[in-house]
Amino acid sequence: MSHGSIIKVPFGPQHPALKEPENFLFEVDGEIVVDVKPRLGYNHRGIEKAFELRTYIQNIYLAERICGICSDAHTTCYTQAIEELLNVEAPPRARYIRVIIAELERIHSHALWVGIAAHEIGFDTLFMYVWRDRERVLDLFEMISGNRIHYAMNTIGGVRRDIHAAMVPKIIKGLDFLEERLKYYLRIVQTEQTILKRTVGVGILKPKDAVNLCAVGPTLRASGIKNDVRSDDPYAAYDEIPFNVITHSGCDILSRTLVRCEEMLESIKIIRYASDSMPEGIIRVQVPKKVPQGQVVSRVEAPRGELIHYAKSNGTTKPERYKVRSPTLGNIPALCKMLLGGYVADIPIVLAGIDPCFACMDRMAFVDTKKNKKWVWTMQQLRRKYAKE
Amino acid sequence: MNLFKWARTKSPWIIHFNTGGCNGCDIELVAALTPRFDLERFGILLEGSPRHADVLAVTGPVTLQVKDRLVRVYEQMPEPKHVMAIGTCAISGAPFKDCYNVHGGIDTVLPVDAYVPGCPPKPEAIIDGIAKLIQKIKGSKGHGKGK
Amino acid sequence: MEKENEIVEKLKDFLKENLVNVTIPKKRRILVYIKKDALEEAMEYLVKDLKFKHLSTITGVDLGEEIEVIYHLSYKGSIMLSARLAVSKKNPNIPTITDLIPGAILYEREIHDLLGVKFEGHPDLSPLILPEKWPKGVYPLRKEYQLKHLKEMTSEK
Repeated sequence: MSHGSIIKVPFGPQHPALKEPENFLFEVDGEIVVDVKPRLGYNHRGIEKAFELRTYIQNIYLAERICGICSDAHTTCYTQAIEELLNVEAPPRARYIRVIIAELERIHSHALWVGIAAHEIGFDTLFMYVWRDRERVLDLFEMISGNRIHYAMNTIGGVRRDIHAAMVPKIIKGLDFLEERLKYYLRIVQTEQTILKRTVGVGILKPKDAVNLCAVGPTLRASGIKNDVRSDDPYAAYDEIPFNVITHSGCDILSRTLVRCEEMLESIKIIRYASDSMPEGIIRVQVPKKVPQGQVVSRVEAPRGELIHYAKSNGTTKPERYKVRSPTLGNIPALCKMLLGGYVADIPIVLAGIDPCFACMDRMAFVDTKKNKKWVWTMQQLRRKYAKE
Repeated sequence: MNLFKWARTKSPWIIHFNTGGCNGCDIELVAALTPRFDLERFGILLEGSPRHADVLAVTGPVTLQVKDRLVRVYEQMPEPKHVMAIGTCAISGAPFKDCYNVHGGIDTVLPVDAYVPGCPPKPEAIIDGIAKLIQKIKGSKGHGKGK
Repeated sequence: MEKENEIVEKLKDFLKENLVNVTIPKKRRILVYIKKDALEEAMEYLVKDLKFKHLSTITGVDLGEEIEVIYHLSYKGSIMLSARLAVSKKNPNIPTITDLIPGAILYEREIHDLLGVKFEGHPDLSPLILPEKWPKGVYPLRKEYQLKHLKEMTSEK
């Protein structure tokens, strides 16, 4: 690849402020994407090594901060792994509370995404409405756990705080409100031309590719593949709670949107059921500080898809090795496939379509091999260029 | 009060930059724009380009990969400019202190004018931080030159 | 546990002495330890015959003299099989499985970055997550690199 004139464009974040700077190199032929090379890493902190330096309890708070949007998914996966190594089980009531928190997180995460995706296609009104309504979920988190983000509910052996009987009517009231709003947003997504024009037939991921490229979560389920860790490999209390796994077969961004919208409504049902059938009893058991030698694989269905942790213990108070594979990384090969052969103008919405752990892709480098040009764009610049389309 | 300062303290334009955090602070900053908190009614705008911004709001613990870009964004801003460190990571890098790819708090790279603690700070705290920064700008003698 | 047992029996039959060890720690979990040279045939059997089509991730672990590479595959999203093998640290080369499972492409790159394992035949082993200025040959997840060394090495930048 010869280097023609390199045009560098000054860095400029977009609005709203969603920047987890990462890098993609796009090879383009005019307006068509010919090749995509991911080169991630602006967000690489070195957390897996840090896990080995901290005790198991300290690591709960590190795991939580891997991601601010799905922090509970990480702590659930982590505490489950350590509990398995210790050969203890969280008490039944704790498992139900874990489900409630996890589903509330799914609603907040998907709602956040709907807002971001709306913003991507210029539909700022929808973004504002959805994020306003999402505040109700954060209110519930604050009531239950004391914080809106990073609720620190999970601990090794159970949960740290109880969902008292007095909280339940408030939760139900919040859910009733949310259900009505979410049904309204679902109708908008299904009928609003602005959305349909930008999402139908865009970002196609055929089922065969989805499987070969090991996609996960709503991205996978929007290509018709019915896989969901909550039902395939149940954890917490999911084996006792009836729910539907949502799939759509459109294989495009609209399908991914519909999957997430319907999953939010399904989450509401799950929380209602769980609040209703929550068993009495203790919420945590005491566990020793030293974890006997062993290795486990722990999986949960985070809002973005399958989250997998691998833990290896060596009889001390600190892990020997802790590995985290978050769902976004699992979807990047599929993302590259979706972008190939597509229009440069569609890049922002296709990227947003996999619900990347927060715009893991703000900075993108482009190479036009025919014209011998190389340049760097940010998401905002890309959107501005194609705004008329 | 000179016109320049008046205009600036009336409506600071903020540019946001995430240096590799978990995004908790970012989504609370964005939430500050949404109807319940409505940052924009104070005239505060989240700007796109550093060349038009007065305040650089930084989140995250500054990963090694992002450090140079952070400095470059700061350099592109016109004087007088101010920096806000939002969240514990930005203040000291604390949650990720023992991570090998993390540099540390923002003030190890840039001069910081306001610190908003929290993990993450609530939107109200972020707005409070911005308000305090405005007060600081109002009270400063002459133009605040960054180091 | 019926399906898990069935899978284990089939693996034992197929791999014979290339299967060093296999356990079923609990339902939906199988742990297999295979010989390094049997990787390609074991993977092909697992993916094509036993239908473990989904690769969740690949983990690398520094064991001291050796580096362990663990492939986490799942059957219908349900039964997780972790196939582990060890390569010597002095010569950490193993064949890629990206021709069989295209989705392995970034997982192998990540292990190459952090532990220095070379996946022969991989289309592009360029750095995935370490910064551009990261010192070459320094694999942070290897036990010999302590945090303070890594910080010293990167603080001059």
